[in-house]
Amino acid sequence: MLLRRQFVLTLGLMPITFGVWYAAGTLFAAPAVWLCNAILSEAYPALIDSVRLGGVDMIARLTIGESGGTLIAAKEAGNQIAIEINTRLVSYSIAFYAALLMASNLEQSVYKFCVGLFWLWLSMAFGLASILGKDLLLMMGPSFLNSPGVPPANLLALTYQFNVLLMPTLAPVCLWFWQLKGSPLWNQLSGDIARAATSR
Amino acid sequence: MARFLLTFGGVLIGLFTIEMLKPVQETIIQPFTGLLAMLSTAIILPFDDSVIAQGKVLRDAATGFAVSIEAGCNGIEAAIVLIAGIMAFPARATHKLVAISAGFIFVQALNIVRIISLFYLGQWNYSVFEWFHLYLWPVLIMLDVLVVFALYLSWLGRHAQAIKEY
Repeated sequence: MLLRRQFVLTLGLMPITFGVWYAAGTLFAAPAVWLCNAILSEAYPALIDSVRLGGVDMIARLTIGESGGTLIAAKEAGNQIAIEINTRLVSYSIAFYAALLMASNLEQSVYKFCVGLFWLWLSMAFGLASILGKDLLLMMGPSFLNSPGVPPANLLALTYQFNVLLMPTLAPVCLWFWQLKGSPLWNQLSGDIARAATSR
Repeated sequence: MARFLLTFGGVLIGLFTIEMLKPVQETIIQPFTGLLAMLSTAIILPFDDSVIAQGKVLRDAATGFAVSIEAGCNGIEAAIVLIAGIMAFPARATHKLVAISAGFIFVQALNIVRIISLFYLGQWNYSVFEWFHLYLWPVLIMLDVLVVFALYLSWLGRHAQAIKEY
């Protein structure tokens, strides 16, 4: 009964949480972009000039430019390549998490949401950095892979798959499950778990 | 709890890495994705004879609109999460096997609904297609995984209770 209530309520709340998330896209993306800036300045210091938020897009300016179809240093090229990444590709995890949490009607739910939001921003920052890594790999190819601190192509592909395709939906579920402790739904689930564990 | 988390994380990352290996992609993932496209076409055909499957691409012969089933859209990642959850939780091997098989079918059934819905949404309105493709369907598929896992835990609990009473 509690399980059914949880999932029906989550589905019912999703139009509201997704509506709020879409309307306030910049607000939800900003902390993740700041964190991503910190990650990128450590990961690719020779390649990234600046990272900022433009609307709901993260704009990464590179230290390289383009001249006659060749990628060269921005100062020599007289221009600078900028890559735009839609932050909504990872930030929808916030709307999903909010729906899960609100449907559980937990105590101190606002505090729990704030804690969860911090972890989601961290996960989003890694997601945005992974998208940029994938874009740089596709755009620059071997010259990107040969840059200092850049991991192998397979690892870039794996982190992209993990951080962009999986984490935006998996992270909210893990956070919600962690914060569920002490709730009636948790008590029901833990009862089932205890019974199952003893009969093994 | 720590054991569950460690096993869950280990199985998740392990299966995810295996899934990305080139031989696995060529021999399992790509043929499976093609099968999904064929199944989707077989379901649509009685109602709409203009649809054709070409490998992992679903195409409308009349309008030329096509959707390609790519990584992240074939339900494999969601199935991996479910498998990791089931493997991490202590239960009999037969129970795990049944849960993984049933869960995989359950996840893929919803995934076929996703593919078919996206195929028609894309022909109707591209903005709506983008919304459903990028934001809503991934959440619904993960919610499906969560429902299956919660039902599995609940079933394990009831099964254990029944054995105790017997």
